[in-house]
Amino acid sequence: MPELSVPSLLEVRNLTRRFPGVVALDDVNFDVVRGEVHALVGENGAGKSTLINILAGVLQPSEGRILIDGAAVVFSDPPGSQSCGISVIFQEFSLLPHLSVAENVFVTREPRRGPLIDWETMNRNTAEILHTLNLDIEPSTPVSKLSVSQQQLVEIARALSSKARVIIMDEPTAALNEREVVRLLEIVRSLASSGVAVIYVSHRLAEVFSVADRVTVFRDGRHISTSPRNAVTEQQVVAAMVGRKLAHLERPMRTSGEIILEARELTVDNGVVRNVSFSLRRGEVLGLAGLMGSGCSELMEGLFGLRKITSGTLTLDREPLQANHPRAAIRAGIGFVPEDRKTNGLFSDLAVTENLTIGALPRWLKSIPAFLDPARERQITLEYKRQLNVRFSRPEQRISGLSGGNQQKIILGRALAENCRVLLLEEPTRGVDVGAKAEIYTLIDGLVAKGIAILLQTSELPELIRLADRCIVFVAGEARAELSGNEVTQEAVMEVATGLSHRVAIRDQALEVANGE
Amino acid sequence: MESRGGRFTWFRPSPVAVTLLVVGAVFAVLTPTFLTLNNLLNVCTSASVVAIVGLGMTLAIASGNFDLSVGSTAAFAGCIAMSVVPQIGVLPAIALGIATGALVGWVNGLIVTELRVPAFIATLGMLTIVRGAALIYTRGRDIYLFGKTDYKILSSGVTPALLALAIALFFGFLLKHTRFGRHILATGSNLASARRVGVRTTYVLWSVFAIVGATAALSGLILSAQVLTGNGRLATGLELSAIAVVVLGGTPLTGGQASIPGTLFGSLLVAVINNGLNLLNVSIFYQNVTLVLLLLGALSLTSGWTSKFGRIASKGSVADVAKGGDGAKSA
Repeated sequence: MPELSVPSLLEVRNLTRRFPGVVALDDVNFDVVRGEVHALVGENGAGKSTLINILAGVLQPSEGRILIDGAAVVFSDPPGSQSCGISVIFQEFSLLPHLSVAENVFVTREPRRGPLIDWETMNRNTAEILHTLNLDIEPSTPVSKLSVSQQQLVEIARALSSKARVIIMDEPTAALNEREVVRLLEIVRSLASSGVAVIYVSHRLAEVFSVADRVTVFRDGRHISTSPRNAVTEQQVVAAMVGRKLAHLERPMRTSGEIILEARELTVDNGVVRNVSFSLRRGEVLGLAGLMGSGCSELMEGLFGLRKITSGTLTLDREPLQANHPRAAIRAGIGFVPEDRKTNGLFSDLAVTENLTIGALPRWLKSIPAFLDPARERQITLEYKRQLNVRFSRPEQRISGLSGGNQQKIILGRALAENCRVLLLEEPTRGVDVGAKAEIYTLIDGLVAKGIAILLQTSELPELIRLADRCIVFVAGEARAELSGNEVTQEAVMEVATGLSHRVAIRDQALEVANGE
Repeated sequence: MESRGGRFTWFRPSPVAVTLLVVGAVFAVLTPTFLTLNNLLNVCTSASVVAIVGLGMTLAIASGNFDLSVGSTAAFAGCIAMSVVPQIGVLPAIALGIATGALVGWVNGLIVTELRVPAFIATLGMLTIVRGAALIYTRGRDIYLFGKTDYKILSSGVTPALLALAIALFFGFLLKHTRFGRHILATGSNLASARRVGVRTTYVLWSVFAIVGATAALSGLILSAQVLTGNGRLATGLELSAIAVVVLGGTPLTGGQASIPGTLFGSLLVAVINNGLNLLNVSIFYQNVTLVLLLLGALSLTSGWTSKFGRIASKGSVADVAKGGDGAKSA
């Protein structure tokens, strides 16, 4: 770990940034030294993004100074920041999908021979950088052919090729699975040991604690604390982030009822998921775990009528269930909270109310069929606002103005408003901050206590352990193991999910089938 | 700024209404004839023809699509109706004409939902096919209606304006007070989400395209009634005016939102400008140029507004493309 007396490579002093009506950053100090991984944590709205954007040259500070090697600098635009050796890897990648890896790594800095691009040098240099990242892909591969984690590494390769001295990573693991996360964290450590300063912005404290040398907490635009990793506990950091103590860190004891959903030998889409059997009881959370492409999501989509169940039987309350459109699944009492809120859940042009009631419209109709009842819709929205503790000013407000956590609660409320008996949850806390996360866990506990049966798919193992009473581990489209109660541990799940290397070929096959659809 | 919730409102101080008043005032000062009853009736009639198809187009755009074939549909329906008046009478002929338009629209919907061809290509193709059908049907000649002046009821007096108003009220009611209207907006806002919440998006899109076709047909019937002539070349370029009045009225092309009064005001604005230029003896060739300039101006203003209030990331941003394309909108 670097000594704190080492001079800072990058430092900000008394940085303030105001927007009309808000102070996004309030008199903040922050620094990073050579060879250090400095984690920056905080809830949404804490000011992390504003700081990143100022360091990237996208925003200008209202007050305060930025120092590099002790000398004051001003970044009026992104190239200004880059020329000082700062490279930002945003959560939403800025790769050009149709260009090759090499073209992306060297974009705007292409090596030339005369007026022409020197492809040979460009591909060779790219291959070298990829090699240092242990990334085994051809520099000429189009980026669109790569997985999310590989694309992330291409972003890092671009930063390295520009001789960046400070690399800022914004939520770098948001779209990665457990194994890819481990690999990324190794790379981050090795970047630091090669002398680069890394600013690591993340919600996930487990990662922060395994990779960072120092941890800084922001809250409401203010700097709350900076401490060496060994000097703080995860609980202290969480308390600093949310400004209060969070309850319910343990899974409550539950008593489950009779079987409500039963699957026998289900096969989805001719083999994306094969011969899966399980039963789900009232008042129980059944977890589905597995690496990306293992079939958990595909199984849920099959249950909800988004994919075809090609063989096997499915019963809901002993009645055969055959949903070939989500509409049928919703009518039968199945609710679905999808993984990707923005593309599969939200109607960003519509109001909060309309987003909440859209799936349940038949229930709020007036006596004349097909006519809406705005007063009733409004009343329902206010009921759910109180019940789920959602924060918004008016039901008529557009949902796009709400925070991720509040949007997620509305989508959860939507499934509840449909009167669902079985709830399919896919990554229920993705992109929501720590406070909202704890609230959503409590909400889920409450639903389960009321007798709702939940099928949960999550790539965050701590979340799985916190919520699931039992857990089925999927590998390559098949159920490999079922764990229950105290058997559900991170180690046990990962062992089953990753330990079967001879299965990889089958998984790739299954992926091909999935992609071919 | 807090963004507005309900995407459909009856009244809001809109730029298009203000522009309409200003432009109207200018023409009233510049020409002695603009403010005469006869001239205003003319303006109303030509505005109504575009407004009717524009209202249909508003629904299509709200559902995340649009229809380039409306001009051809208008001509085809006009010819069909005109040709059968002597055999089956005026009212059945009108009904048949509108049904023809709805059928063409439904075929558009089929192509978009079943063959998964983007609306742009599907309706561009239908623009050509249906225009061809109209010309084949009339063998390229005019169809005259001698002595059947009943048919003229469609275009005489305030009928077109009343029809436009009635349709506007009906569509406004549809969007604000019915499940079908809500489903149109949901489909236009996010197709994938709409499907997931149980909206039968296929039926919604079929219906919307059929409605656009029907409104296009009605506009075509009025146009042909004005001259009591069926002609395969009628209403050429109507698709541009129809889309222009929707956009001028403030309905964004990205779907999920609609302004019915905006479309009415947009139609009036275009009609007033064309009429005023006529009165000032400006060549008709300038009128289309004016229309396109207005359209570009309105589009640049609205996109400027949206990005100003931070909705850059909501639709088809660079980030979306980088993530492998925006599947929700393109399907």
